[in-house]
Amino acid sequence: MSLNRVKAIWWRHAYDLKHNVGRLFDTFYWPALDIVLWGMTSVYFQQKAATADIVLVLLSGLVFWQVIWRSQYEVTVNLLEELWSHNLVNVLATPLTIYEWVVAVICLGFIRMFFAIGFGLALVYWLYGVNILQVGWMMVPFVALLLMSGWYIGLVAAGVILRFGMRIEVIAWSGVSLLAPFSAIYYPVSTLPEWGQRIAAWVPASYVFEGMRVVLSRGQIDQAMLLKSLGLTVIYLVLGLGFFWLMYQQRRKLGVSSLE
Amino acid sequence: MPSKIVLEVNNLTKVFDGGFSFRKMKRNEPTLAVYKVSFKIHEGEIVGLLGPNGAGKTTTIQMLLGTTAETAGTIKYFGKNVKKNRPELMQQVNYSSAYAKLPWLTVFENLMVFAKLYQVEKPEERIEMLLSEFGMSEYKHKIANALSAGQLTRVLLAKAFINFPRILLLDEPTASLDPDIADSVRKFLLKQQQKYGVAMLFTSHNMAEVAEVCDRVIFLRKGKIVAEDTPDGLAKTVKNCTLRLWVGDGLKRLKAFAQGRGYPVKVSGREAEVVIKEDEVAAFLNKLARHNIKYSKISIDKPTLEDYFIAQSGRENES
Repeated sequence: MSLNRVKAIWWRHAYDLKHNVGRLFDTFYWPALDIVLWGMTSVYFQQKAATADIVLVLLSGLVFWQVIWRSQYEVTVNLLEELWSHNLVNVLATPLTIYEWVVAVICLGFIRMFFAIGFGLALVYWLYGVNILQVGWMMVPFVALLLMSGWYIGLVAAGVILRFGMRIEVIAWSGVSLLAPFSAIYYPVSTLPEWGQRIAAWVPASYVFEGMRVVLSRGQIDQAMLLKSLGLTVIYLVLGLGFFWLMYQQRRKLGVSSLE
Repeated sequence: MPSKIVLEVNNLTKVFDGGFSFRKMKRNEPTLAVYKVSFKIHEGEIVGLLGPNGAGKTTTIQMLLGTTAETAGTIKYFGKNVKKNRPELMQQVNYSSAYAKLPWLTVFENLMVFAKLYQVEKPEERIEMLLSEFGMSEYKHKIANALSAGQLTRVLLAKAFINFPRILLLDEPTASLDPDIADSVRKFLLKQQQKYGVAMLFTSHNMAEVAEVCDRVIFLRKGKIVAEDTPDGLAKTVKNCTLRLWVGDGLKRLKAFAQGRGYPVKVSGREAEVVIKEDEVAAFLNKLARHNIKYSKISIDKPTLEDYFIAQSGRENES
């Protein structure tokens, strides 16, 4: 065994770290995210455990977070797949417009999300005997809002990848998680510190998860929450589309082929 | 009747913004990649786009495809501005590059995706025909990434023809192909030109290929068109030719005589190779006779497109 060759590989990755912001970001991002997310959940359980159906709250949060995660993931990873296979120029040199591409990946995300959630719901029922669908159609508007949230996050992440290239591909996996602590997936917004609550007020998913907990506990829809979430989601979706289009135009200025 | 113009490019210019350097804390210098390039391609015409590395060939092709935004200038296909009619016009355009790749799908699946993107009728038939033309039928169900470079190039060429294009943009289409396969590809391209009037814009580093295939050549240097002519026309602008003599007696005298007049000369065995202006050959041979230098065989290599390329590239290095 040659220590020099081992060192060469070590240097190869050390150099990579210098150029690859994503890897550096990764080192601190995930531990911080887990600590915040599960720390807040623990605080909530400590305060309110006796009054809530913990298993239902946790599992429904887990399953419905997949809606947002899956729909954004499909947008970004489908773009990355074209880049990984050096196929983006081939595709964009056809009559296809960038909006057609967006519609295609969004629809694809919807279909895959449908199967992923169906599988998740079935697994939760089979393993834990919890039927998240017990509240019926009332879940539909919430799922629709989460789906749209995934789209705008996916469009922003895809726009950033288009502009800065594969060195920032980590955003495809981590972008949406940045919003997780402020989305009140497993705990109410009131558990967050003051500054966190101010951020959560601008995160449409926080109203969705709060609203879903109301549905699960009281069997009612909080319409105000739903409307707030819808308003913000529509605004972000329009902004997300605009951002993606702007980043695509920026990439065209630099040349799409330089991405591959 | 003059044939229709399928591609018209006017004053096409591309300046790449240098971007902001955080290390230097200032903007980098912009790069002029293509400057006021104008040309037309007629139906059924094959035009070569030549130039040394960094001349702006690939940038020009990428602008024609719309995957790189032009800084200035206009691009018209079939008389229509591509900016306003892109989906309609790109329906009749296609492209292939030796540098492109394909996703982790089988050859057939990949071609089917493109057939659908171009809304080709009876796509299976078209794919079968193209795979057969390019000798790739047996690889139909093979994953594209598992193909050799030459096989992948042929699949990419099949992709380029999938939509019955009226104009093809080919960026080094035969790079990485074996000579026999490159030859069959050239024959296929010429057949498409003759049979269907497909026009082509063609970049290649193989000058013999360009001379064989192209009706006209546009030579780019540092983003500008420096010459436009037929391959023969460009070659003729190179004044020097290579004179080969198999010298029986007087080899040393020949060498001294040629060098004394400033002609580069190489000697190998009994063979002397003199680089000389074409119109001075007769006078040179006359003088050899007067000096009693005898040779048994003679050949004159006329300037080729490659000589033109080397001369132009040399100029770039000097400037």
